Amino acid sequence: MRMWIYVVRRIALLIPVLVGVMTITFALVSAIPTSERIASYYPANPRSNPSSPTIACPSNPSLQCPNPAYKVAVHALKLDQPIPVQWGYYIYNALTFHWGFVSQTSTVGKGYGGLPALKGDAVTSVLAAFLPYTLELALLSLFFVLIISIPLGNLAAVNRNRPIDQGARVMSFSGYALPGFILGSLVLMAAALWLAGGKATSPICTNSTAFLEFYGSWPSPNCWMWGPGLTSYGYPTWLINTYQSTPTGFPTIDALIHGDGWLALDTLVRIVLPALVIAYGTIALLLRFVRNSMLEVMNLDYVRTARAKGLPESRVIKKHAGRNSLNVTITVLGLTFAFFLSGFPVIESVFNLYGVGRIFAFSLVQSGGTFDFGLIFGTTILFTYLVVAANIIVDILYAYLDPRVRLG
Amino acid sequence: MAPPEATPVGETRARVVLDVRNLTTYFYTYDGVVQALEGVSLKLRRGETLGLVGETGCGKSVTAFSITRLVQEPPGRIVGGKVLFRGANLLWGVDREATFKPVKGSDRVKVHRNFRRIKAAHNRLASIRGGGIAMIFQEPGQAMNPVFSIADQVGEVILLHRGVELVDGLLAATPDAPEVPAAIERLVAAARDGDATVIATVATELGRIVNLSSFGVEANYLAKDANPESWDRLTSDLQKRLERLRLSGTQRAYLRLQRTIAENDQRLRGVYMDEMRKGEPQAGDRRRVQRSRTRLRISGFRFSLPGIKRRASKPVREETFWRVVQGLEGVRIANPVQVARGFPHELSGGMLQRVMIAMALIGNPDILLADEPTTALDVTIQAQILELMRDLRHRVGTAILLITHDLAVIAEVADRVSVMYAGQIVETAGVEDLFTRPLHPYAQGLLASIPRFDQPSKKLTSIYGSVPNLIHPPSGCRFHPRCPYAMPVCRETRPPLTDEGNSHHVACFLYTGPKVVE
Amino acid sequence: MIAQVPTGRGRWRARLDDLKRTWYFFRRNTLAMVGLAILLFFAAVFIYGYVYPAPSTSAVNYCATDGPPPGLCSPTAPIVCTYPQGSASPGPGCYQTPANFNNFIPPTFSLSPLALGPLPFGSLVAPDAGGTAVDQGHFFNLYDLLVKGTDWSITISVSIVVTGAVIGLVLGAMAGYYGGLIDEVLMRLTDIFLSIPGILLIIVIVIAGREVGIGGFTDDVILVTLAFIVTWWPTYTRIVRSQSLVVREQKYVEAARASGAGNGRILRKHVIPNSVFPVFIQMSLDVGTVPLVLAAIAYLGFIIFPSQLIPEWGSVAAASTDVIPSLFQYCSTVSGACVIPWWQILFPGIALFLFAISVNLLADGLRDALDPRLRR
Repeated sequence: MRMWIYVVRRIALLIPVLVGVMTITFALVSAIPTSERIASYYPANPRSNPSSPTIACPSNPSLQCPNPAYKVAVHALKLDQPIPVQWGYYIYNALTFHWGFVSQTSTVGKGYGGLPALKGDAVTSVLAAFLPYTLELALLSLFFVLIISIPLGNLAAVNRNRPIDQGARVMSFSGYALPGFILGSLVLMAAALWLAGGKATSPICTNSTAFLEFYGSWPSPNCWMWGPGLTSYGYPTWLINTYQSTPTGFPTIDALIHGDGWLALDTLVRIVLPALVIAYGTIALLLRFVRNSMLEVMNLDYVRTARAKGLPESRVIKKHAGRNSLNVTITVLGLTFAFFLSGFPVIESVFNLYGVGRIFAFSLVQSGGTFDFGLIFGTTILFTYLVVAANIIVDILYAYLDPRVRLG
Repeated sequence: MAPPEATPVGETRARVVLDVRNLTTYFYTYDGVVQALEGVSLKLRRGETLGLVGETGCGKSVTAFSITRLVQEPPGRIVGGKVLFRGANLLWGVDREATFKPVKGSDRVKVHRNFRRIKAAHNRLASIRGGGIAMIFQEPGQAMNPVFSIADQVGEVILLHRGVELVDGLLAATPDAPEVPAAIERLVAAARDGDATVIATVATELGRIVNLSSFGVEANYLAKDANPESWDRLTSDLQKRLERLRLSGTQRAYLRLQRTIAENDQRLRGVYMDEMRKGEPQAGDRRRVQRSRTRLRISGFRFSLPGIKRRASKPVREETFWRVVQGLEGVRIANPVQVARGFPHELSGGMLQRVMIAMALIGNPDILLADEPTTALDVTIQAQILELMRDLRHRVGTAILLITHDLAVIAEVADRVSVMYAGQIVETAGVEDLFTRPLHPYAQGLLASIPRFDQPSKKLTSIYGSVPNLIHPPSGCRFHPRCPYAMPVCRETRPPLTDEGNSHHVACFLYTGPKVVE
Repeated sequence: MIAQVPTGRGRWRARLDDLKRTWYFFRRNTLAMVGLAILLFFAAVFIYGYVYPAPSTSAVNYCATDGPPPGLCSPTAPIVCTYPQGSASPGPGCYQTPANFNNFIPPTFSLSPLALGPLPFGSLVAPDAGGTAVDQGHFFNLYDLLVKGTDWSITISVSIVVTGAVIGLVLGAMAGYYGGLIDEVLMRLTDIFLSIPGILLIIVIVIAGREVGIGGFTDDVILVTLAFIVTWWPTYTRIVRSQSLVVREQKYVEAARASGAGNGRILRKHVIPNSVFPVFIQMSLDVGTVPLVLAAIAYLGFIIFPSQLIPEWGSVAAASTDVIPSLFQYCSTVSGACVIPWWQILFPGIALFLFAISVNLLADGLRDALDPRLRR
């Protein structure tokens, strides 16, 4: 069947999955007591309405709430409706990106363009502001993963049980076994110490407090790594003032658009180390799969036919075995995408990068014990969308590579 | 080599294309050493079909794989023997590729393989696979790669082994010969008439005029598939197709480069053959050829930009496609153009096996090794394939080694037969001879066990006993535990293959023929 | 590995031979043997840790409060006291903060009868709620924590994995075998669960659970365990389902049905036993992974140590990752000696690493040894 029919079918099949995911988050959101939900949805919003007070209420829901605004808020949020109706509204809001508001100004730091996450900001705009960082990091990590795991896995399979196979095995196990934050912290400390010449402060940063400031806060107004003469040369104007002059939102691309090569290089270098740490963990998984699928394919009949035709061994591997094990690799990549994304909160926290994962981590440690539900569930849904999108891309790639799939 | 003896009556005088001597292959497993082949010898002559018959597990397929060294390296290992092809010993160097150490207290043997030497050996053999010795396999559905089209996979063989010829053909094409427009008119007229044979003849004629037979094929299908609506466009269609033969400068340059690469590949193959012929490595020559190959590849990079590559290689790709179609015609596939464009999973088993045969023969091999080609197909298709093989034998003259367990297949197609039992050849004879006068007790038992229409009341007989365990094969003649005529000497020594006249060889102590066959 | 199991007297003999053969292949794999050795070591520590006393918080830094109460310190009491410069020593077992030290981390004594004196693992500085690392409230002996932590980590991860596997076996076998609506529903359900990245799902469940009040105590092991099980069961269900789809088509299932076996019996005797192998492999991989995910969760804030004195490795490591960067920062601003307890992040990290690696190597070795195609 035609390619695009397959694509349309695949996309149609994902709607139930999305609805299902949102149903699960709905179930979990419903477990939260009403008063906390209201507090999180209707915080005092300094940006939009500085004068509106926070709607507070006693924690015991059976007591009458003296604040009349509370009842209004309950009705506005449809919390007095039966559960199925609430579910309907929830799904509708989730699909149309009405994900609520930030309930507390988190110390999330300056987002790109200098706008922090203030209380009352729409969750979607906060996530959108920080998403490009995460995407850049994800793309770079994916790049590292692919260029290392596929060739190495194939080599390990072709030279089975020889030194390269054992080496790849050790690499994959060690990558799997090191939790991200430990490896990240150790790497970070080592890097900071090396760059700082063994001292706890960096000679490059003008602000000499924490070593974390050196590596992170992207881009940081205080610490530049590169620049003419390796001195900090100030914050470019297009970055300080207005949102509009950062057209794509991706820091590296925007820097390139503005012709600022050093800044672009700086932003890239800041994400190289975290990307390598993430890649190391994911390579661990993929390497085994690539190797095993290649081993399986190498013993199949059609590889034997290719040899019998007189193809040199390198062509046999590259063309016949390689093509088919690519299929499996792509499928596995799709399956591990969820795993991949779930490592982001930790890595971004360790390396002090302000991406979506960092927001998630922050929303968990708010003071006062209440969580920022809007941000938490918003991030979860966003990550799920990303995973589902990745799976669709994988399916489409798979159908493109293997004509048998298109038939059904 | 032994001096030629006076050939008795009936023995063909054709030359030997494949001489297998004392081929011994073992499999080193956890349970012990499986002595799969023990001193197997056979000769294949030009134009002859030799059947290799035996029960499942007697080592027939292993023989074929050992000849081209497609045996899976762990656990298999070719331990000894010679395979002479075109004057070269294909198994040269096999003794130096591994060392063996028996493990005390069990049947196991530890094998230490020198993979570098084995890889070198495979490179050497890749030079004759496909072009000199071709193979077809048992399950055609599994034997082709599902993600590449038929044209792609069959075309690989053409590009590998007949590349020079292909390029020369393209370069010598004459699309602007003066007779061309008239020929096109004739073809269009024939298409309107609708007579397929006339179309074919005129198309072939057109191909001859243009000096490229594959164009004739292309024109033929274009004309045949034309329906009344497209008759008007047929002339312009044909002329557009002719365009592919008018080569631009880049295309010519690309073609010349490909030709040089192909020639270089041929030279490399020659060096490998030399190594196997002389029995010593020709490292100097080899390196020289490989170096020039690298140089050629590098100079080919100027063609590798995506747009340029597509345009420059278009004539080659199209030419390959139509040659594939030609090849598919040769194996009597009815709609070769659709088949060539399609994928393996779209075809039935019988069609796939035909495609496999086409793929094997398109490289013009001297020998075709057919490993149970009809076992996976049902009987009617089997008949068609066998008919095809018989026909091909007459037309093309390739020597065929047909491996099967089905005596009926042998009876239909083979000229000579070798009977194998437990890794040893026990009898070799002409087909008629074997069926009318089987000498070896095993062969006698086999033939006696075939149920016969004309003797309905006869009880079904079978051979007493069962197939031996090849880890601990019987001593001496491996058949002696099951042989009704066993003698004490059978247990001690392996009987040599003796000539019983009329080139009927048998390995049995019941017979002491005039001479021992090597 | 889809084979009909032989019956009768030859059954045990066949199984024994199979085991010997598997052991032979396993033995040839050096890395797998290394993994086995490490795992045996952990098993020994596990047993040792079972009889081990729980860590205590009685080690307190009294520097900020002018020294410990008299009579508190003695060489045999497992209390570490530090007293500030200038004040009188309260007695043996107490450490005076050395001059010029900005943050002194005294050695702690292990509670284990096997340990003699302070062990090279050092002391762990746990951040106090509300205090900064400089004010360091409590010290624990890292050796104690690691030994007890082995127990906790292994118990938690094994229970998670086993429960998940059991659920997966039952549901997956039913889904694959019955097919139809059950299969569709279950597949959609696992799709949904697998689309949500793991850590996020666990955290979200823990949050919701806390609000509802599941488990009884607030930072709780039980809630986290439940959250893990809910996240993990889809993987097993998928694996078992694909296996049971294959088993369903086998001839012996047909034969069993023909001889009158009901669906339940077929599920029990044929489908589930034949799906055990891949589940087993996945289980062994997961036992190594779960502590790593627990560590990540702890890092993000769902830490169960030191508040509950459950020194699960991940929590211990996470507690340290808070302390160390701020100490790093602090030490760069002060002059004089300043200790950065790098050991408290390294040793739990090593424990996690070794455990995960050994389990993985073992599982990989087993898989290679049991794979019928690779045996020769």
